[in-house]
Amino acid sequence: MSSATKIDVAGPLKKATGELQALAITTETEIGGVARAFEGLAGYADTIMLLAAAIVECVENESVRSVLPKVQALGAAARQFMEERLQATAGILETVTKEVNVLGELSRVTQGQAAIAIETKALSVLTNIEVAHLGDVGAGFQYLARELAGFSKSVTDDIQELARHTEVRRAAIEGTRRVLSDELPCLRESVARMEVDLANALATVESSLTQLSGAPAQFRSGVEDIARQIAGAVTAIQTHDITRQQIEHVQEGFALIAAEMCGDENSGAGADQALPRAYAGLTIQMYQLRAIKETVANWASQIRTCMGGILKVSASDMVGIGPMVLEQERNASSQLAQIERLERESQAYSERIQGTLGGLSSLMQLVGEHLQKSKSVRNRLQLLTFNSIIEASHLGTQAHVILAIAKSIKGVSADWGQITDQSGNAMQELMVLVKHANELMEAFSEAASEKLREAQAQTRTSLENLRTAAAFAARQAQEMKVATGKMQDKIAKVGSTGDLLDACFDRFDVVLTEVEEVRRQLEIDDPGVKQRYDPDEMEQLFSASYTTEMEREVLRAALRGKALPVAQTTLAGNSAELF
Amino acid sequence: MRRILSVDDSTSIRQMVNFTLGKAGYEVVEAVDGKDGLDKAGAGKFDLIITDLNMPNMDGIQMMTAVRKLPGYTFTPILMLTTESQAEKKDAGRKAGATGWIVKPFNAEQLISVIQKLVK
Repeated sequence: MSSATKIDVAGPLKKATGELQALAITTETEIGGVARAFEGLAGYADTIMLLAAAIVECVENESVRSVLPKVQALGAAARQFMEERLQATAGILETVTKEVNVLGELSRVTQGQAAIAIETKALSVLTNIEVAHLGDVGAGFQYLARELAGFSKSVTDDIQELARHTEVRRAAIEGTRRVLSDELPCLRESVARMEVDLANALATVESSLTQLSGAPAQFRSGVEDIARQIAGAVTAIQTHDITRQQIEHVQEGFALIAAEMCGDENSGAGADQALPRAYAGLTIQMYQLRAIKETVANWASQIRTCMGGILKVSASDMVGIGPMVLEQERNASSQLAQIERLERESQAYSERIQGTLGGLSSLMQLVGEHLQKSKSVRNRLQLLTFNSIIEASHLGTQAHVILAIAKSIKGVSADWGQITDQSGNAMQELMVLVKHANELMEAFSEAASEKLREAQAQTRTSLENLRTAAAFAARQAQEMKVATGKMQDKIAKVGSTGDLLDACFDRFDVVLTEVEEVRRQLEIDDPGVKQRYDPDEMEQLFSASYTTEMEREVLRAALRGKALPVAQTTLAGNSAELF
Repeated sequence: MRRILSVDDSTSIRQMVNFTLGKAGYEVVEAVDGKDGLDKAGAGKFDLIITDLNMPNMDGIQMMTAVRKLPGYTFTPILMLTTESQAEKKDAGRKAGATGWIVKPFNAEQLISVIQKLVK
């Protein structure tokens, strides 16, 4: 072995050691920066998760969870309210149509009664003529003439009043029919529209609540993901320290080889063994460097993946929870406002209908009074007929005219009785109509509105809670946005550090090339160099400073010409063993 | 708050131990080698010590042997956190008074779990 060869080996190894030293210093500095950035990132991740936890707690609150059932109950109450009113309106229209028929009947009754009143007046005149004709004998019939005249006048007045009311009522009913006929389609349209709106609102609320209900699970998954990424970064940063030690061991290996080649008295090797031992040593260091390079690439990649993972979680749907809660509150509030508007409109409409139907009761009252009077007239007519016939019978043939008048009165009484029965029938029909109308108007009553109002009040309270939650979530979301922004800045810094680390790793290749060149020179100088070292002895010599199993495995592979052991691609970290 | 002494010549390892245990609610005091660790253990009371094995000035085994002689440290849990995984090294650690052995890199979740078991 020439001294020139010794110098050629020592020089490049010194240079390689220097390169590795520089690399170790640079990576140490950079990884320190990464670790600090990582701590900052983890801090922001914690902040974000705390904010998300607060939102999730708020979302899981019972008052917020009850929003959907409350809105659903409101929808059902509103639907029932409007449908009942729609049916009642249709029923009222039918009632009003029937009332028109009753009014026609009443009109016929009054016409018949008017005819009787005229006939009665004529009978009164005839009776007066006959009383005058009979002289003192007929004085008793003056009472009959007065009664007939009074009866005729009373009936005429009564009929006129009834006819006037009937006419007013007919006009009112016509107006009501017109209004109902016009409004019924509008009401049907409103109900149909409300049905669609409610269905849409419920679908929206349900969908956003479904999303919200998924938030806790999403949050827990986010927490786990962040914890996993943080654990991954913690492990990767530690692994850097292991590779740093391994680089130091390679440097020590280079120093040992250089010492042997320079004939170090302490090396314990003979001069003829120096080249094979140096060759074995260089092979080991090259294997170690390749293994270190792979491990370094793995931990650097894991750091990047974990940092990216943390950022991804922070920018996930978790951040969108706040705006989602707000949107849901807006949708539900808008639906509530719409239902309240419909209820108000319906109330005003029901007041108009109530006013119209109030007239039906007045008419029934008037017809009832008229019927009573008619019955009283009928009774009186019967009495008059009876008395006049008896009186006329006493007078004998002289009172044949009076007797004829009495018989006419009997006929009038019978006609009157028949018409009174017709009045009674009309009255019965009116009573049925009023009863039915009253039943229908129940739909427009306060009690019917109460259920809807109760549902509205509950929904309003529920929405108030949701609004509070939404405002809280929005504030939290804003803070989350700020924290996410800061995280992104940190990630950008870590990214640039990663680029610097990548540049550092290129130095491995430079060192490997240099060492490879020295080893090639050794092979050229002494072609049998690779067969002349003792692997066990070399293992003992170079593994003395090793502190990891990986280094020992790599060394054995190098000395026995085997493939490089596969480096761990995922660094999960080791568990503790308790004694 | 429970106090933990973390002894390691590597800044990044100390940083990660501090970060992991700090997040879990422990107060972590750092020492840069065995000698520094021994000084800090002597100056204050710790509920647990985590130490590396190979360190300049004083290694983990030497420090542990010395710490065990300090008043109040007879039963203090001491965890070795090292790249070494050889049985003979572990045996030496156990004989010097180690409570447990963790091969670097540690798994954060499992480290916390073990410490929670040892420090109640």
